[in-house]
Amino acid sequence: MNSRALVLKIFVILVAVIILARLFHLQILDDRYKIFANNNVLRHEVQYPPRGEVYDRNGEFLIQSRETYDLMVVPRDTKGLDTALLCQVLGIDMEIFHREYKKAENYSQRRPSVLFKQLPKETKLKFDEFNFPGFYTQYRTVRSYPRKIAGNLLGYVGEVNQKNIEADPYYRSGDYIGVSGIESAYEKYLRGEKGVKIQLVDVHGIPKGSYADGMYDSLAVPGASIVCTIDSRLQALAEELLEGKVGSVVAIEPATGEILVMASSPTYDPDKLVGRQLGNNYAELLRDPYRPLINRAVQSWYPPGSTFKLVNALISLQEGTNSASDSYPCNHGYPYGRGVKCHGHHSPVNLTAALQTSCNAYFCYTFRNLVDNSKYGSVKDGFDVWYDYVESFGFGRKLDSDFRSEINGTLPTRERYDRIYRGSWSSMTILSLAIGQGEIGATPLQVANLVATVANRGYYYIPHVVKSIEGRDSIDNRFYERHYSKVEKKHFDVVANAMWKAVNEWGTATGAFVKGWDVCGKTGTAQNPQGNDHSTFACFAPLDDPKIAISVYIENGGFGATIAVPLAKLLLEQYLTGEVQSQDVYDRVRGININYSKAYGQ
Amino acid sequence: MVSRGERTAFLGIDWSVVLIYLAMVTLGLVNIYAAVYNESTTGFFDLSQRSGVQLIWIGVSFFIGISVLLIDDKYYHILAYPLYWLSILALLGMFVFGKEVNGAKAWYEIGPIRIQPVEFVKFTASLALARAMSSYSFNVHDLKSLFTIISLLFLPAIIIILQNDTGSALVYGAFAFMLFREGFNGWVYIAVFLLIALFIFSFLIEPLPLTIMLFAACLLAEGFVNGRWKSKAIYAAAVALVTALIYFGGKFADVDISLNISLLVSIALSLALVVIYSYRQRIVNVWLFIAMFIGSVGFTYTVDYVFDNVMQIHQQKRILDLLGLEKDLKGWGYNVNQSKIAIGSGGLTGKGYLQGTQTKYDFVPEQSTDFIFCTVGEEWGFVGSALVVILFSVLILKLISMGERQEEAFGRIYCYCVASVFFFHFIVNVGMTIGLMPVIGIPLPFFSYGGSSMLAFTLLLFVAVKLDSSRKSHISRV
Repeated sequence: MNSRALVLKIFVILVAVIILARLFHLQILDDRYKIFANNNVLRHEVQYPPRGEVYDRNGEFLIQSRETYDLMVVPRDTKGLDTALLCQVLGIDMEIFHREYKKAENYSQRRPSVLFKQLPKETKLKFDEFNFPGFYTQYRTVRSYPRKIAGNLLGYVGEVNQKNIEADPYYRSGDYIGVSGIESAYEKYLRGEKGVKIQLVDVHGIPKGSYADGMYDSLAVPGASIVCTIDSRLQALAEELLEGKVGSVVAIEPATGEILVMASSPTYDPDKLVGRQLGNNYAELLRDPYRPLINRAVQSWYPPGSTFKLVNALISLQEGTNSASDSYPCNHGYPYGRGVKCHGHHSPVNLTAALQTSCNAYFCYTFRNLVDNSKYGSVKDGFDVWYDYVESFGFGRKLDSDFRSEINGTLPTRERYDRIYRGSWSSMTILSLAIGQGEIGATPLQVANLVATVANRGYYYIPHVVKSIEGRDSIDNRFYERHYSKVEKKHFDVVANAMWKAVNEWGTATGAFVKGWDVCGKTGTAQNPQGNDHSTFACFAPLDDPKIAISVYIENGGFGATIAVPLAKLLLEQYLTGEVQSQDVYDRVRGININYSKAYGQ
Repeated sequence: MVSRGERTAFLGIDWSVVLIYLAMVTLGLVNIYAAVYNESTTGFFDLSQRSGVQLIWIGVSFFIGISVLLIDDKYYHILAYPLYWLSILALLGMFVFGKEVNGAKAWYEIGPIRIQPVEFVKFTASLALARAMSSYSFNVHDLKSLFTIISLLFLPAIIIILQNDTGSALVYGAFAFMLFREGFNGWVYIAVFLLIALFIFSFLIEPLPLTIMLFAACLLAEGFVNGRWKSKAIYAAAVALVTALIYFGGKFADVDISLNISLLVSIALSLALVVIYSYRQRIVNVWLFIAMFIGSVGFTYTVDYVFDNVMQIHQQKRILDLLGLEKDLKGWGYNVNQSKIAIGSGGLTGKGYLQGTQTKYDFVPEQSTDFIFCTVGEEWGFVGSALVVILFSVLILKLISMGERQEEAFGRIYCYCVASVFFFHFIVNVGMTIGLMPVIGIPLPFFSYGGSSMLAFTLLLFVAVKLDSSRKSHISRV
């Protein structure tokens, strides 16, 4: 054969081999092209589930999911669009439309973006009557609150932020997430599971059918509904009564730890934190000096005041440093050191009478008897004994309720006093603790939990707001465990009876009397360096087999008996008898408006 | 009863070539159907679809192919020039009657039929070349003879370029393949390959290292021929020293002279001395290497100039994209990128017939014509695309063999012309879809949709088959 012909043949074969090698590389070795091809042709359409709804303990709606639609657009496909008509259908200003459309275009020509969020169903139906190329609607749910109560308790739903997305790969930009309250605590159950529909699209982005006959598609799983422990009628009454005051009410069912009421005042209309106005309204609420977004029941701590005398009484009895029958004189106060004032009442008093009349002097004596007792060796060791008791009642630490934002409150430690007083302090230095003042601070929830513990005569269940979750047999195990205080039952009986007497015989709490229901209570008037005293009241009823334990805390409300007691009385009436009996008391409490200009700088 | 004429007409036919042809045409049709396939496609015979139209053209081509076999082979020799001039006339006529499609005036429209004369000129030019080069007075080393060939090739090429169809004009460069066989100077080919390499290097390599490389290459080449390595080392050191002097001298004098310019000036100065030295030492072949160096440096600067000032922007972009110097997947690089995605996603055995998502949903542009190979790659995978590559390679090798067994120069040259055309279309078209070649819009023979190319390639191939079958050795055996 001609040698040049051979050269040419070899050249042809060489070229063929090069092309084959290149094909081998593209088609077999390099996997990227398969991914690119899928990116071209597959569109993952998210199917949003409806968010779980929330009921109160009686089956009334607290949160409903309302169906809305997001208007989506793929800018590349909108040729021949009648903008004027679309704006008319949507009821949107042309200028705003063009501004939003520009944003979508800047994001991507090919990929869908949300043009307008949360259009009502009526708009969607009108939209569906026309054919707008490149536009479609996507089902979403938003929250609505038929009873407009318990805003802080229920929390709100907002769009995920970057931190949420990084923390949980489930979330994608534009998803909703519970931001506070129950919405946040039970997000995992309420959100459901997003589904996905994988569609094949052509080069123009037009859907051409489902991918692999829908083999990889998944349906959205609706969020589980939740039954709340809240009694919405009681909650509504509490919020109503708190109007014009700053403070909070917590009510617990002692036998279960279920929270019946958790009201914080001022509150807000939960419907304000929904939909397109969320951002503006949120900013407005944030600017409010009364800080309505703070759930004072779990996010504020106050000196518990006289309600804390219950704890000190129980500790003394348990430790035997005082007996119930020991009496102490009180002549307008405790005479030693700087002295502790008391109001005028008969003297001397024993434990029961001291609780009834809320005698400061008595508790100063018994507190010192306890802490200074020689059996502990030193004051500081005595203090440690006291500390352990108080801690066992749930003070100074989170109760581990289902509120993520719950705070610790404060309970001073020996080390803290050593720091403050450079190691040299005595029972006289910390005497304020005897009457629930000084370095101790408790959340209203902790005080309510204390009365629930007294009502149970020694133990509590962790307070919680969720009763049951759809599709689950039980809520978290920790809510079924009894937490015992370090005090025996028999001592609780003494204290409970004293509380009964304070309401039903004579004392500071007689205003809480409800006929036939054996209400037991302890008032408190917590001193407050910023202004008027805080008015507090802690009670439970009935004495035997208690159904409800309440803690009321009204900032700058003065004596416990002035506001907190009648307020609690009305709640007890409502809960125990089914309606408010004392219309005159109701009118009086509703009529009280406290001037907070000093405390809140207005 | 078969007549004697018919019997001789089909005698000696290389059926393997016909079989390859039939296989290609069938595969082509099947893939065109897949390329245009969508929900509304009713079947192969739907005349509103390209596959249906292509089927008609295939029928016409079969008729033409059989006719070619029936005509006595001497007529191809006789008709070579008339057909050539007729086709040139048809090309020229397009300036007047041509219909413009996609910026190129390339079509005659007669009723529903569109004819693209460009496709047929490849055939007539092959015949004319074979005729001219097989004449007794032709000598490949003779300037006058070469001028004849160049005229025959350049005439259609220039007309086609004027009609804004540069891609189709490039085919006439492919006849270099045939010319090589006919004894054209081999050094020219080596020089062309080197120039192509230099062309690519001039894009990929910065001017300074390129100058150094060229200098070193010429110096080493000269060293291998003449020896005297010690003087070479001294020379190189001297050039480096002078370069440094110029560069830092420039710095000192506050004149901005780049290192590359310093080197070039230094070399230029030295070359004068080298010329005198070599003349005295009587080693004149050094001058060849000097010329090589000056030529290649000159070439790289010419490339820059031509690229920036002569080439059109889309041509520039295609080259930059091919060399991986510029990525623009949404603009210039879109076609090739989508093409690579379609082929690359095919995997070993492909996604299955009519299952190619990139093809079906129109991600690949021009998928039934220039990018038909994507459909093959995507739906049939490596197995399918390798089969097509092998079919083409075998066909081209076969054509070379057919040329070699011709007794007469006319037949041999013609067969090589056909091989050249097929080879060029094959490399450029397939190479373009897999990113080995710049995008040049020419069809893949027998695969791409289009009646004119189908007919023209059938004509090209079957005349070769006919010439092969009517060799004297066959006839004498009858």
